[in-house]
Amino acid sequence: MTQSPFRSRPMALLFLSPLILLTALFFYWPVAEAIRWSFFLEQPFGGESTFVGFANFRRVLSDPEFWKSLKLTGIFMVTASVPAVLVPLMLAMAADRGLRTSRIARNVLVWPKGVAGASIGVIFGFIFNPFVGILTPLNQLWPGIWSPGTDGVDAFITLIVANLWNGIPFNFVILLAGLQALPDTYAKAAALDGAGPWRQALDIRLPLLAPQLFFVLVLEFTESIINAFGLIDTMTRGGPGGATTLLVYKIYADGFKGYDLSGASTQTVLLMIFVLLIAAAQFLLMERRVKYER
Amino acid sequence: MRFLTPLAALAMTTAAHATDIEFWYGNTGSNEKAILAACEAFNASQDQDRVSCVGQGSYEAGMQKAIAAYRAGNHPVLIQFFDAGTLDLMLSGAVIPVSEVMPDAPWDSYIPGARAYYETADGKLFSQPYNSSTLLFYTNKAMLAEAGIEKTPETWEEVIAAARTLKEAGVSCPFATDINAWRQIEQFAARHGVPIATQSNGYDGLDAEYVIDQGIVAQHMNNLADWHEEGLVRFDAETKAAKYNAAFSAGECAMIEGSSGGYGSFAEALGADAITVTLPPMYQGQTRHNTFVGGASLWLMKGHDEAEVKAAQNFLDYLRTPEAQLEFTAATGYLPVTQSALDLLESSGRADAPEFATAGPGMETLGAPGNADTRGIRLGFYVQFRDIFAEETQRAYNGDITMDEALANSVRRGNELLRRFEATYAAN
Repeated sequence: MTQSPFRSRPMALLFLSPLILLTALFFYWPVAEAIRWSFFLEQPFGGESTFVGFANFRRVLSDPEFWKSLKLTGIFMVTASVPAVLVPLMLAMAADRGLRTSRIARNVLVWPKGVAGASIGVIFGFIFNPFVGILTPLNQLWPGIWSPGTDGVDAFITLIVANLWNGIPFNFVILLAGLQALPDTYAKAAALDGAGPWRQALDIRLPLLAPQLFFVLVLEFTESIINAFGLIDTMTRGGPGGATTLLVYKIYADGFKGYDLSGASTQTVLLMIFVLLIAAAQFLLMERRVKYER
Repeated sequence: MRFLTPLAALAMTTAAHATDIEFWYGNTGSNEKAILAACEAFNASQDQDRVSCVGQGSYEAGMQKAIAAYRAGNHPVLIQFFDAGTLDLMLSGAVIPVSEVMPDAPWDSYIPGARAYYETADGKLFSQPYNSSTLLFYTNKAMLAEAGIEKTPETWEEVIAAARTLKEAGVSCPFATDINAWRQIEQFAARHGVPIATQSNGYDGLDAEYVIDQGIVAQHMNNLADWHEEGLVRFDAETKAAKYNAAFSAGECAMIEGSSGGYGSFAEALGADAITVTLPPMYQGQTRHNTFVGGASLWLMKGHDEAEVKAAQNFLDYLRTPEAQLEFTAATGYLPVTQSALDLLESSGRADAPEFATAGPGMETLGAPGNADTRGIRLGFYVQFRDIFAEETQRAYNGDITMDEALANSVRRGNELLRRFEATYAAN
């Protein structure tokens, strides 16, 4: 069916090798190491390590802190991903129409992609500062109502907003490209039949956009689990009172601040399993409804 | 710099063979400048050894990088590590005790409070105390005077009475602190002569257990929560400056309990005459014991050749000279911790100079009589316990749980860390 552009297999492998090498070095090898360490009690500076079988897993799985941060991870995954897909979807639908500013908007909306997560964290830290940020007037009316430094829910909201801002550009580009690839004959036919813009959007453009929507949703779900790290480290450091200690940050804190290499590795393995399960569930439940053929 | 001459002469008598070594440190700001100045002065004082001093951004980052570097085999010979990592390093097998490498150095000159923190129960000194600080009490004179408070508070009862007066006078932040265990329980328990964990804070065995949920420590933590509720005590995030010490520098908060190492920046911001620096407050009727030495010390790492270790020793010898210590103290507010440095300070007639303002109260609180529980903290995975303590007490201040629940949780989670530490090092 599809024909390989390369005549010989070795040639293909040669071109692939840099990528395979990088992936092996920065993904497969650390993963293998994490799995190995999860069965040992590993001393921070090397030295003696003790094989403990599944003891690390038993300890982590019976630790309420682990389940608390896994729950927070799940909450963040849903509350952060859904707006990070819906908002770009609205923006893309708006920019897809032939409005006067849509050309400019298409450019401007991509820019945030160039900003690193840590930088976004620093910027939003200022924006949401209770004393000098945009919500300061709220505090003047009702003192203490906005306090991300001490209130866990407020801190969680700042993370969600920062993650949304970070997620807009990529999702916007994908969704806009999907929309622009739709043949306008469908829309014209629908218009002839008397369908208004809303009906066209809901019954024609959205179903036809399903492959792209599925794609960004899967990516956003898995990314929100991992990529929140940069935001957390710069904005909340897992606080206040552990309210934003998602599993990815807990792994960092346990491993790098607590020198608990075994516990951190064990949780890394569990987090990988969690991500795989989420992705598998999405494919099983949702992909059946996605029609790639148009 | 007259004190450089004898060292320079010493350097010339030894074989002229330049050894380059690296030294990693974690401080930033004015303290970093003082460290770099000491490195330059050492390099200028002789041409046998060259030390290049590399900043790591923070104590924690320094420790993380040291672990990674040691595992990869490209660690430097000399590293500054912070107080909380002491036991992790002692058992790491990655360091050589300084008293073993340099048995003839004048270790006895170190004041007991500074030495005990880095010493094993059988008298082996693991690291050389460097930037030594302790907890002190600071007030903003003008803010207190404006509220009609003439006497600097000395007890917690007086501190809180003053805080009420300040609050009534319209001061939004009477007393500021943070939720760091160093301030809230370590220094508090030490000067009140009680432990935070059994086995004398772990000095007598790895099977220690936390006891911060009982006695005067628990009482104090509950008081802090009540005073916070009353609006007398503010924590980092509740100040405009977002950090208790910056809030003091900005004139937002009237009183703080803070490290002696912070004096330099407070004096710079407010003026040395505008602040008081005194012993940290006690509860009435309690006997004052010594506070712990905080800050960091210098560790010799394994895996380097003789010449490099020798060069590191020369640098340590230089930093230990009374002259170098006073130079560093004057620039930072850290304390001189050898008797010889204190003698030099006395004889030089500079003891009353503003740049040595912390030396008086600092030495008084470090030199107060001690007991078995005031030698130091010898608990495993202690850095992580500090985070757990901060997380749990933060929830109590927010009203999510009671302070007693927060302390019970800290003890439970802390003891799990201690048991795992015990198991991790059981093979040694």
